[in-house]
Amino acid sequence: MNPTAIYRVAGSIAIVLLLAIPFASSELGGVGPLVLSSYFMHLAITAFFYAILASSWSLLAGYAGQFSFGHMAFMAIGGYTSGLIGKFFRFTTAPSELCTDIPLLGNWWLVILNIRRVGTIDESCLDMARAETLPAGTLIVFPPVWASIAMGLVMGATFGLLVGWLVLRLRSTYLALFTIGFSEILRASISAEIPITEGQSGLELVPLFPGGLLGFTSTSKIPPYYAMLLLFLLAMALMTWLAGSRFGLFIRAIREDEEAAAALGVNIVRYKVLVFVITSTLAAAAGALQGHYIGIITPNTLIILQMSLVIAMAVIGGLENIYAASVGAIVITFALELLRTSINIGPLHVDMTLWRLVFFGLLLMLTLRFQRNGLLFPILERISRGGVAEETVSIREESEEDWEEEVEVDQLEDSPSDSGEESAG
Amino acid sequence: MENAAIFGWALLWILFWGALGGVVTPRIYARKDLEISQASFGGAVIGAALGPFSLVPLWIASPKITGRLIGIAIAIVIGIFVASFALADPDNLCVANGGFVISQLTNGIVIGIIYGLMALGLTLIFSILGVVSFAHGEFYMIGGMVTYFMSAVWLPGVSPLVAILASCIVTFVIGYIFERIFLRPMGSGEIERPTEYAILVTFGLAFFLQYFTQALTSAVPVKAQRFFPFPRVELPAESGTLLKMTPGNVTIFDAISVPNPRFTAAVLALIMLAALLWFLYRTWVGKALRAVSQDRQAAAVTGINPNSMNTLAFSMGAMLAGLSGASLVQVFSWLPQVGIPAAARSFVIIVLGGMGSLPGAFLGGLIVGLVEAAGTGCIPDATRAAAYIPAYSMVILTLVLLLKPTGLFGREL
Repeated sequence: MNPTAIYRVAGSIAIVLLLAIPFASSELGGVGPLVLSSYFMHLAITAFFYAILASSWSLLAGYAGQFSFGHMAFMAIGGYTSGLIGKFFRFTTAPSELCTDIPLLGNWWLVILNIRRVGTIDESCLDMARAETLPAGTLIVFPPVWASIAMGLVMGATFGLLVGWLVLRLRSTYLALFTIGFSEILRASISAEIPITEGQSGLELVPLFPGGLLGFTSTSKIPPYYAMLLLFLLAMALMTWLAGSRFGLFIRAIREDEEAAAALGVNIVRYKVLVFVITSTLAAAAGALQGHYIGIITPNTLIILQMSLVIAMAVIGGLENIYAASVGAIVITFALELLRTSINIGPLHVDMTLWRLVFFGLLLMLTLRFQRNGLLFPILERISRGGVAEETVSIREESEEDWEEEVEVDQLEDSPSDSGEESAG
Repeated sequence: MENAAIFGWALLWILFWGALGGVVTPRIYARKDLEISQASFGGAVIGAALGPFSLVPLWIASPKITGRLIGIAIAIVIGIFVASFALADPDNLCVANGGFVISQLTNGIVIGIIYGLMALGLTLIFSILGVVSFAHGEFYMIGGMVTYFMSAVWLPGVSPLVAILASCIVTFVIGYIFERIFLRPMGSGEIERPTEYAILVTFGLAFFLQYFTQALTSAVPVKAQRFFPFPRVELPAESGTLLKMTPGNVTIFDAISVPNPRFTAAVLALIMLAALLWFLYRTWVGKALRAVSQDRQAAAVTGINPNSMNTLAFSMGAMLAGLSGASLVQVFSWLPQVGIPAAARSFVIIVLGGMGSLPGAFLGGLIVGLVEAAGTGCIPDATRAAAYIPAYSMVILTLVLLLKPTGLFGREL
């Protein structure tokens, strides 16, 4: 079988398995002896959430060579936008007079609730309006969850465009510098604007399916499982298509050599901004969905721990392959949960809950240094080659060695043009 | 704010004419076949300064845009900004109370010196290795942690100088080991795309160090005692109008008040700065470091080993961050996470000063210190002003990236 066919077969099997997992959950009675707890289902949803983040980050960093440390900031922008729309926006059939009313089509009005002061128990303006000015029989409708999630995506894309336009005209180091600050400033303002965002105590979001779905209650894990899985598969499909298209070639050309790509007619700034906007939007989508699933979002999702985890997942999985990055995210999400234990080494009591992150930090550095392609990507590649291609690989390695020798000979003849400068740049 | 509208309109005026100047000036200069490298930045600040009154003469006469012209324009912009703020909010402490303003400025300079010292480490690393160390904040955090644990837990009562020395040694050694294992292979061409590798691997180090410290110390905030309490002095005696010292504070002329921890931290930073300058300009190794930063190949020809200079620069940069952490652990309470905002601030400073420029880093530190002091002092809502401290430096960073990405004394990255 050729590699593409193996990829397709393996991919189809994986998708079928992922679709089938809920049938083994405790909610549906399990399949024979296999009963998956709702805790397992929760982990699976979280794993897909991280898989979307890690794979989209790997598209940005591994394919396009642009390192953003603000991926979690865009995730939070998605979640907070969706949550704030749910908190402040209502649709009514009559103007409330007390809140900010914006007329829409027909006799519908968009009502924006007032920001209440901290530490008071003022009624919201809509509650007061209902008691006083609103005519009887007025409908008050919450904005639909899908619409607020869509607005989250729009906000993610807008911020992605602004940040990208500001920073991506410059070298990639500036993006890394700026996005760390961007996510710090976002965290600071979310923590400070307590009347709007509830600060550290967290913004509550309505459940993903407030009225339940197909007989499942709103707290059931099965509808969110399929929702997150669907987003994950859509994101992977989009990124697979992008990576295989001209767009994918352009961004990889930019990663390898910006000047050369520009000289060949690639509008490097436009494509860098485009890939940044796309990956930021994916992060925002994941954030909005996860926010509605968990039911609360706090500024602590923006701390560097979360960003480092996503990076560790992508790097340990395989930075330059979106599938490897997503598999890495799923594996590490489960590994982190399994490591919530403590072990005794002789007299020493080691709380692994603390040390597991130290371990992953070390693993991240060592992977980067000694196994640049990640720990999982070589395994995936070996499976896809099915062993038959080892001969070609060894031939390729030999030819690469030859080529390197030739280069060395060339360099000796041409007298090297400062190689130190290259390593420094 | 009484007349917030005045301030708002002034800001809008500055932004509008600045944007117009920044966009139109390079086109006019290009049409007249003049040099346009400074035209965008110069046009923006000159437009922001006097609006149409300066832009029209600029476009008609189109003089060469010199550093002096830009400097004058920036001074005018700052003047308009300050004046409109004062008109908008005449009762604000930082408008009405001269003593408060001077105290705030002094504190800004004092803290800016320490920021400058930390950024100096980062810019030293960048100028030699061409690498921005994303673990810089963690070295800062470790410097403070070691100082605290030395002086309060492991060896209670030991002189703070010993604790600071220990923190210097620890951060130097960590920097040394990391550079040898992870950054040395970059020079030999063993690593593909070294810039990307450096960003990620230093970030990995930050991740590792932060959680390593957290696992060891737990997440309870700590704060060191003040290192060197002042003696009680009053000049002239009894009234203390010229100089008044209590163990925790010094007041000069009854107006300028600087807390003791900040004062000692700044003095320590100045001493270190002097030592660093002496090292860089008077010793053989320091001269070798500067030679490598100017031209690696030529330095290697004269017998300097660039690889060992890389190691030295990285360890010294880490040590400078550790030292600023050590001197600030008596000012702020300390957590394993304190490094992140500090690192973000250092990034702002080195971009503002120009990547790899030592005087730029120091000047940038002072500017950022002053802006933060002005921000915390002048924004009416005090809790909000304190919460937004990281935002002030980000505003500077955004402006620099928009107007002059090379910074004050920068070379192209």
